[in-house]
Amino acid sequence: MISQVFILSSKGDRLVYKDFRGEIGSDAVGLFYDKVTALTGDQPPVVMTHRNIHFVHVWQGGLYLVATTTAADSSPFAIIDFLNRLAALIKDYCGALSEKTVQMNFALIYELLDEMLDYGYVQSTSCDVLKNFIQTEAQSSRPFSLLDLANVGLFGADTQQSKVAPSSAATRPLQGGKSEIFVDVVERMSVVMSSNGMPMKAEVEGEVKVKCFLPGCSEIRIGLNEDLSVGSSHLAGYGGAVRVDECAFHPAVRLDDFEAHRILRLSPSQGEQSVMQYRLADRLPLAPPFRLFPTIEKDNAGRLLMFFKLRCNLPPKSSAVNVSASVRVPKGCISLSQELSSPDQSAELQPHNRAVIWKIPRFPGGTQLSASFKLDIPGLSSASTLEVGPVGMTFELPKVTASGLHVRFLRLAPTQHRGPTQRWVRYVTHSDSYAIRI
Amino acid sequence: MTDSKYFTTTKKGEIFELKAELNSDKKEKKKEAVKKVIASMTVGKDVSALFPDVVNCMQTDNLELKKLVYLYLMNYAKSQPDMAIMAVNTFVKDCEDPNPLIRALAVRTMGCIRVDKITEYLCEPLRKCLKDEDPYVRKTAAVCVAKLHDINAQLVEDQGFLDTLKDLISDSNPMVVANAVAALSEIAESHPNSNLLDLNPQTINKLLTALNECTEWGQIFILDCLANYTPRDDRESQSICERVTPRLSHANSAVVLSAVKVLMKFMEMLPKDLDYYGTLLKKLAPPLVTLLSAEPELQYVALRNINLIVQRRPEILKHEMKVFFVKYNDPIYVKLEKLDIMIRLASQANIAQVLAELKEYATEVDVDFVRKAVRAIGRCAIKVEQSAERCVSTLLDLIQTKVNYVVQEAIVVIKDIFRKYPNKYESVIATLCENLDSLDEPEARAAMIWIVGEYAERIDNADELLESFLEGFHDESTQVQLQLLTAIVKLFLKKPTETQELVQQVLSLATQDSDNPDLRDRGYIYWRLLSTDPAAAKEVVLAEKPLISEETDLIEPTLLEELICHIGTLASVYHKPPSAFVEGSRGVQHKRLPGSAGSGENVESPDTGSAAVASEAPPAVIPSQDLLGDLLNLDLTPTTTTGPPPPSSGMQMGAMDLLGGGLDSLMGDESEPLGGDLGGSPAITAGFGAPPTAGPPSFTAPVSGGLDDLFDLGGGVGMPMGVYVPPKTLWLPAMKAKGLEISGTFGRRAGVVQMEMTLTNKAMSVMTDFAIQFNRNSFGLAPAGPLQVLTPVSPNQSIEAVLPLNTVGPVMKMEPLNNLQVAVKNNIDVFYFSCQYPISMLFVEDGKMERQVFLATWKDIPNENESKFQLNDCHLNADAASSKLQGSNIFTIAKRTVEGQDMLYQSMKLTNGIWVLAELRAQAGNPNYTVSLRCRAPEVSQCVFQSYEAVLKN
Repeated sequence: MISQVFILSSKGDRLVYKDFRGEIGSDAVGLFYDKVTALTGDQPPVVMTHRNIHFVHVWQGGLYLVATTTAADSSPFAIIDFLNRLAALIKDYCGALSEKTVQMNFALIYELLDEMLDYGYVQSTSCDVLKNFIQTEAQSSRPFSLLDLANVGLFGADTQQSKVAPSSAATRPLQGGKSEIFVDVVERMSVVMSSNGMPMKAEVEGEVKVKCFLPGCSEIRIGLNEDLSVGSSHLAGYGGAVRVDECAFHPAVRLDDFEAHRILRLSPSQGEQSVMQYRLADRLPLAPPFRLFPTIEKDNAGRLLMFFKLRCNLPPKSSAVNVSASVRVPKGCISLSQELSSPDQSAELQPHNRAVIWKIPRFPGGTQLSASFKLDIPGLSSASTLEVGPVGMTFELPKVTASGLHVRFLRLAPTQHRGPTQRWVRYVTHSDSYAIRI
Repeated sequence: MTDSKYFTTTKKGEIFELKAELNSDKKEKKKEAVKKVIASMTVGKDVSALFPDVVNCMQTDNLELKKLVYLYLMNYAKSQPDMAIMAVNTFVKDCEDPNPLIRALAVRTMGCIRVDKITEYLCEPLRKCLKDEDPYVRKTAAVCVAKLHDINAQLVEDQGFLDTLKDLISDSNPMVVANAVAALSEIAESHPNSNLLDLNPQTINKLLTALNECTEWGQIFILDCLANYTPRDDRESQSICERVTPRLSHANSAVVLSAVKVLMKFMEMLPKDLDYYGTLLKKLAPPLVTLLSAEPELQYVALRNINLIVQRRPEILKHEMKVFFVKYNDPIYVKLEKLDIMIRLASQANIAQVLAELKEYATEVDVDFVRKAVRAIGRCAIKVEQSAERCVSTLLDLIQTKVNYVVQEAIVVIKDIFRKYPNKYESVIATLCENLDSLDEPEARAAMIWIVGEYAERIDNADELLESFLEGFHDESTQVQLQLLTAIVKLFLKKPTETQELVQQVLSLATQDSDNPDLRDRGYIYWRLLSTDPAAAKEVVLAEKPLISEETDLIEPTLLEELICHIGTLASVYHKPPSAFVEGSRGVQHKRLPGSAGSGENVESPDTGSAAVASEAPPAVIPSQDLLGDLLNLDLTPTTTTGPPPPSSGMQMGAMDLLGGGLDSLMGDESEPLGGDLGGSPAITAGFGAPPTAGPPSFTAPVSGGLDDLFDLGGGVGMPMGVYVPPKTLWLPAMKAKGLEISGTFGRRAGVVQMEMTLTNKAMSVMTDFAIQFNRNSFGLAPAGPLQVLTPVSPNQSIEAVLPLNTVGPVMKMEPLNNLQVAVKNNIDVFYFSCQYPISMLFVEDGKMERQVFLATWKDIPNENESKFQLNDCHLNADAASSKLQGSNIFTIAKRTVEGQDMLYQSMKLTNGIWVLAELRAQAGNPNYTVSLRCRAPEVSQCVFQSYEAVLKN
């Protein structure tokens, strides 16, 4: 049971505050802010307590969304989920979640909260249900402008290409938009590679999201790869088949045609929803996207020499963007000299993290880059070369899915709608944790 | 114009301006004004002065404006109760509005106005709304009952709202059901004993049906409610599980976790051999793994829950080790939690993988994490014996890195490894000593000092090392000081000649110069020990230490059970029961897991109650106590032995003797009904009370399990027919004892060790005033009562005396182990003799090990503790041998026949809790048996073998 919900700006200003049960005074807001700002990095921020008040919060869009409760049997999962839904709903209604949109639409948010929670019991978080009750009109922060391209985020890399929708599409409020529908396949990959390039662990977590701007959309049909197999033992060894270990579906998805034709049918409500979540471990269909060939030695002058060759294993048409590799170096490094294979790359030493960060803004598939670093470390011993630790990489792979999952088609039921509907399908893979051991 | 402007006005006279705007005729202007008011309210400004003006705006048909006004009302009604009454009429009117949205809004808001005076006006509208035709209104009204109950519980009961609410559980709309369940659950919580939420198979069925239809949030309420239900039997439990299982694939993790909670709880009732049980275990793993793909915050919550689940049922996730491997960009709190789970899942099968990971982690940047990783390596070594060697070498590698905190952690865990596997890895001590200077943390220093003291005889310069620590004695922390004191005393006992000065120095530092009472006390104890009886000091200080247990940081089982019942809640994140962090009046009930399969018996049956009463009754109130006291004195004294089984046997004794001694033969089979009948009678209570040393505390533990249990246990007790009692031998010849001749033997009858003696007077005069005393011995044997020789023994007369013994006397290791030195006194003199007792009389009745435990223990005991013996000329077959041994409490746990060779696996337990495990091999047709004995205390093996020989050959 949720006792209060409040939204705070990053500076701790109250933007929205609603008490549902009258158990806790409004001084909880101050208490929360004091606590959350006093947290150190290694303390789990999930649940904080003060006497018998428990604070659960999420941090989204530069805002704290906080719920308090006094009941020991409340489920932190439910509360976090609820807050995430609240954030998503605010995005759906107001176009974005920011201090400004919340301020502009506080009356709407109060109304939403009133319908979502009653006496602390969550009633509904479904956009479809809620829109029957909501009276207030949303205020959009500003019309679409090119400036929005600055905060491109997820799909930012290829905005110039006409086939990809401008990212601002995703930050428009629902009401009164164009008739558009987006299907996004978003994957996160975590890989641990041993020093000889063998993947020791590889895992992909993916999600098919539908963002629908059509009011009262009837049924859509999403066709996935026909050879998609679910479950680990099934069809293994026949190569090429796209496989996921497990998947879970949104309760509204009808799976009548899933077994036979891999078609998901659903009537999306307005706003964003995660239609399918899946997971795939070990045996990935493609080789991991990056492979590193390190050479590490000590030179006569007592400096540590690191020479890296990094190869991108993507198909030549694709490329990775925003690639960054972080190499752990022995403690006590004082300076770095570098030689990089092309001018757009950069590297810097971060002594407090004991790391060298090597950045590559764009890395086409099938190519190879190299970098050589010289580190000055006073009192370098031969054992120190052992301290050169694993390389962690972060990157984005636009238009690529690591699992090979693709959307064959996206069909709307023919009957409805006056105007033509624009349909978009987008793919992206992110690094979740990509570590290469040396 | 957007709403953000509302936040910017802070001018003076603002209230005045707002007032004017609120009273404007234009709807739009009014609406804008109310919005401004609410904006001010949000940022914490006091706008209560505008109450009447805002309430005036309430009568409107604009729903948006109405909602805003209600929002204001909820916030300020409490501070303006009199004004709030003004709004009542509108509420009542709105409750009859044709628009269901307005009806629901009015009911919802009224409930939130926490003003007593308003509640009475609320009743009629609420009653109507509970029966409204629109489910939206009904579900809102259901919640309103809970709100009203919080304000005025009596009113809710008087008005009969609770019954209406109960009816709503059967509503056709699942949302209404869910809210009714939520409201009832909350109300029931404040009346723990009311039968408000009457869960019976019918309502459960309704809930399960609603579960499939309602929203995810409703599912959570229903699942949480289901978790409070206790199914009648395993079949009902299974059918509920089957219907809950589909929830595991829900996208909402809170639903998943609530379902996991229900399943974990009901699984307790399923028999483990059921196919469905295995299926269920398999089904639980994937959803738990999926929880880990969420954001770090949710991952953390999931991991805390998984930690509990893994402790309760490790088999669920035993194949999923990889998902708990740490990602380099996990936040530290996630990393630590994963590490903990990795250790809990570590087993022989995956230990190589785990160790490789841990070694990798030990080179990370984050100091806390590295420390934990090093500790984890040590915990692996202790948990999985096969890996110990690799763990130790990994730790040595890490010590070579010379990274200060890694070395210190490594030393701390190596100390534990020494404790677990004595005499195995001491070769690494030299390496450890090299790092002595770099240790600056108390824990590491203390660990190192312990190692030096413990192995002083193998470290040539141990005295120098310890002396170096002594210089800054007073600057050390208490932990180090205590350790140093003990280590030096150990050193002294091992190398007394060279270290006399050192020990005196440390004793004076500890006793004279320190003001820490612990340190001083320990110092004095050592000092006295050393000065009075160095041999005793050796016994104490260099005593064999018990091996450390495998997992030290497990959550205590009862707490774990309670936490399992709270999976998914805050309690599972804190790992504390709700009672530990909830203050205030709301009653917190301790939840328990249901009993295990098939019993179908309520844990809190009335039997337990009466048993508890019977045992708690103090002896003084029982009228027959005096009379019984003397009569029972002799036979009841054995109850002074410690440990749970002896009380049960004492109980047997009591019951038996009350009924006369002739019932011995009935004991094995009929004691259960017998005991059952006697359970409540005062006589048996007197029996409990009679021996002063066996006070009530020792009985409260078994009694909590119910008297029935006690007797169940007793059911296995003693089969006097089969017990082997060696023939009497001459212990004390008359020559040596001025005419007193004693021959005797030892036996175990009905769970009591007895010394049976024949005293013969071969002197010329009458002997009287017999008394007996034992010297300290290996198992603490001592007379449980005085030697009962009531009549004087005249010349040439023989008299039989039976002396019951207990095992709570002082202990000293004897050579041979079963040697007993006895002093007997009579009116003439004191005589000493020594005899040897068969160790089999110390085998207790509950020495039968569970098969699994046996297997695990057998593997756990190192090979070098195994002793093999040949038993020649034994002409029994395996089964006969087994039953014969059983008579002496050597229990056969399993029998295997391989290539004509019978192998019996047997266990026995000594009175001091030492388990002995045996493997008996018999080849058909070959009179020679092979007995292999494994025991943590290998010294007993020889004696145990002698007992085998004695029992089997007689």
